[in-house]
Amino acid sequence: MDGNDLTEPLPLQLLRDLQAAVGTDWIFSDPDRMVVYETDAQTAHSQAPHAVVLPATTEEASEVVHALHGHGILMIPRGAGTGLSGGAVALRGGVVVGTSRMTGILEVDHENRRALVQCGVLNNDLNAAVAPYGLHYAPDPSSQSACTIGGNVAENSGGPHCLKYGVTSRYVTALRVVLPDGRVTWLGGQGREQGAFDLAGLFVGSEGCFGLATEVEVALLPLPEAARTLLVIFETIEDAGRAVTAIISRGLLPAALEIVDRNTIRAVEASIFAAGYPTDAGAALVVEFDGVEAGLERHAEEAARCCLDAGAREVRHAESDQERMALWKGRKKAFGAMGRLAPDLLVQDATVPRSRLPGVLARISEIARRYDLQVANVFHAGDGNLHPNLVYDRRDPEEGRRVEQASAEIMKVCVEAGGTITGEHGVGVDKRKYMHLVFSPAELEILRGVKQVFDPMGLCNPGKVLPDGQEAP
Amino acid sequence: MTAPLRSFLAEVVSAGTLLPEPERARWAVNGAIPSAVLMPSSEEEVGRILARASQEGWGVLPAGFGRWLAGGGGANVELVISTRRLRDVQEYEPADLTFTAGAGISLSSLAEATGANGQWLPLDPPGGEEGSLGAAVATGMGGPLGQWYGPPRDHVLGLTMVSGDGEVLRWGGRVVKNVAGFDVTRLCIGSWGALGVITSVSGRLFPLPEVDVTLILEGHQRFSLLPHARALALSSLPLAALELLDPLDWKEGGSRSPAGLVVRLLGSREEVEAMETRVPREAGDAGVFKRLEGEESRAFHGRLGRWEEGAGLVLRMVALPSLLGAVLRLVEDSQAQWKRFPAQEGLDVRVAAHVGAGVVRVAVWGISLEGDGLRGGWVEALSGLREVLEGMGGSLVLSSGPAPLVREVGTWGGRRVEKTLMQGLKRQFDPQGILAPGRFAG
Repeated sequence: MDGNDLTEPLPLQLLRDLQAAVGTDWIFSDPDRMVVYETDAQTAHSQAPHAVVLPATTEEASEVVHALHGHGILMIPRGAGTGLSGGAVALRGGVVVGTSRMTGILEVDHENRRALVQCGVLNNDLNAAVAPYGLHYAPDPSSQSACTIGGNVAENSGGPHCLKYGVTSRYVTALRVVLPDGRVTWLGGQGREQGAFDLAGLFVGSEGCFGLATEVEVALLPLPEAARTLLVIFETIEDAGRAVTAIISRGLLPAALEIVDRNTIRAVEASIFAAGYPTDAGAALVVEFDGVEAGLERHAEEAARCCLDAGAREVRHAESDQERMALWKGRKKAFGAMGRLAPDLLVQDATVPRSRLPGVLARISEIARRYDLQVANVFHAGDGNLHPNLVYDRRDPEEGRRVEQASAEIMKVCVEAGGTITGEHGVGVDKRKYMHLVFSPAELEILRGVKQVFDPMGLCNPGKVLPDGQEAP
Repeated sequence: MTAPLRSFLAEVVSAGTLLPEPERARWAVNGAIPSAVLMPSSEEEVGRILARASQEGWGVLPAGFGRWLAGGGGANVELVISTRRLRDVQEYEPADLTFTAGAGISLSSLAEATGANGQWLPLDPPGGEEGSLGAAVATGMGGPLGQWYGPPRDHVLGLTMVSGDGEVLRWGGRVVKNVAGFDVTRLCIGSWGALGVITSVSGRLFPLPEVDVTLILEGHQRFSLLPHARALALSSLPLAALELLDPLDWKEGGSRSPAGLVVRLLGSREEVEAMETRVPREAGDAGVFKRLEGEESRAFHGRLGRWEEGAGLVLRMVALPSLLGAVLRLVEDSQAQWKRFPAQEGLDVRVAAHVGAGVVRVAVWGISLEGDGLRGGWVEALSGLREVLEGMGGSLVLSSGPAPLVREVGTWGGRRVEKTLMQGLKRQFDPQGILAPGRFAG
């Protein structure tokens, strides 16, 4: 199936069925209203769908998906559209099923440290709802004020604190899912450690290719009682990388270890997000420890010493929550600020073994120099998850080509270092062409087979994750 | 043994791979001795064996040291493939806190290799540290340390498996964050060999804690400790383990208390000291805790890892942690019922609960099925217990037991699972359906 012809309107009977499912207000196809559905946060891929449908419940979603399936129309699940790999874009036409009305927090079971939410609940809103019980939902993607739990499930999202706490799949305990034919089922759940394949575990990170998870049961953790945050300024990014290695080698386990490089610092400081990072620095490292109060001070001191030994120029300590937020600001707002560097940004997301970071960073700078491109690095240094961002102007096709070539080289370098092509943003559309770097033909065949088990007709978010010969070279 | 199998063993399998005849009896699968037990020395050899087995339709049971052969009933098993010769540490970079090792390495050997660099894999599955890494991953069960560190699925970064038709497949990798492709690694964890033979595993390590302290509160019975256990489970203290034991053995064959609440604290000196002072208070003025530190603490937990050794019947019951009291009550009623069965005077029943995870393990020594209607009585009792638990939204796993009981009661029970999806997935990995017959979708 190549997709639905975008010049053909949707069948009338289907429109009636969809209206019957959600009401006339919640299905639309006028270009003005659909414009936000044309891309995700990675704006390079753009396409308006045939229509957008916004169900409010699992039952409505099931009716919608069932109707689409009956007419052979593609279904593209979509959360808040904060994704960075084009995963929610209707590149082959079809109907976007948005989750923005499914924002109910169905249950907070503090006695068992779990919550059941509808998929459209924002990550931050879930945290706000469970905070009164002294609990939190640990995965904290930088977009957490805007991104949905359903989107986090689709992408298996990470965040700065996954170094200590792990990513989304660790916290998803059950999913209520609308399968691509409209059937509703529960995956995982009570006692799921035994007696069945871990279908919920498989569904997490499937990027909307297996169906729509409408309700999500998550495990919650007690809020850490205290935290210590350091901002460390380095002359060079290599020094910062060495400090990270030294901290880990000392047996310290920070909750987060984040690096921003010189280009990023300058972009942040020139923007409305200015956080007071010195603009002549080569890199800034954010180190955070959390847990019970006792011992945090010593850990922070030891980490500071590692940094100074690695050549750090300055160590700033956050004394209050407010100061802590300020230290984090430059890191959290880095992506927003990069808009200042150039009109377009190619966000990369490769992961390498932590010990290979310094070497890989040097190779990335060399590649950027060779292609005459500016690269701004922001990354989760503790997990080896890099975000080398190539800034460019799409209106200059020659520059666009250089960006593509540099990007491909960076991917190869990361994979050769024992890493992978994406740590948290997903494969989506634009990394399909790199899948062969990490999977053999036999493995890709199995992945295709797994997709078919959930979606035999290939109607659910086609053209994502799996290479099918139609991806750009 | 069929002629094709005999010629295959003679021609294809190397001498070191075939387990000598006299030892084969120990690998009986629920009473049936397999035609051969193979211990391949490379994943390619595993591939050759499975490719042929798929062609011929021979049932194959993947295994490590043979601890979990009973799961699922194991009908029609022709070959057992043990990974015990795949036991090399293939990659270990201390600066990355990651490793890759053959599935057949024992957890204790792995601990030795990583301990030299002050690191460890905080995993203590049932069966203890003499179990294999591959089995811990394939069975997917957590132990006491799961309270803070999580079950095996939270430690595995990637794995290599050989599919039913003999293809070597690698999933995940050795980086901590990886979302390339669908998460087949997770699918394989806890799949009990039904999707492939896991030949190597990459995992995430942690720094060894500076201090290891265990606090133990004795009780005259399990229910008197329950409120303290729940209070601690709801505190914000990062406890490494929280176990309720009935009875509590202090030493191998030594003194015993009727019940004990075991709290393990791992971390820096300051952190553990602070928690130590808080545990009795947060447990709700529970009285005086006894204290073990360092080697004593480690030895205590080592013994706890072998807690069910030699038991004739082991049950694993899972329910929401808040239902712990109800589950313990169920166990007590069942104990009374079992002891009324004829010829069960020697019955010794012990209970160990992972309080935070809502897992209650029950081990029974001295079980006998010899006697009028006795087998039927046990089958009915265990099936009834499972039904009640499933009614509570929980589950009951018959981890091990006499072969007839496992066959009739079933290892995993009838909890509603997605059979259609499971069977579809199974076919992708094992088109001929030769792997782990009788388990899950097989």
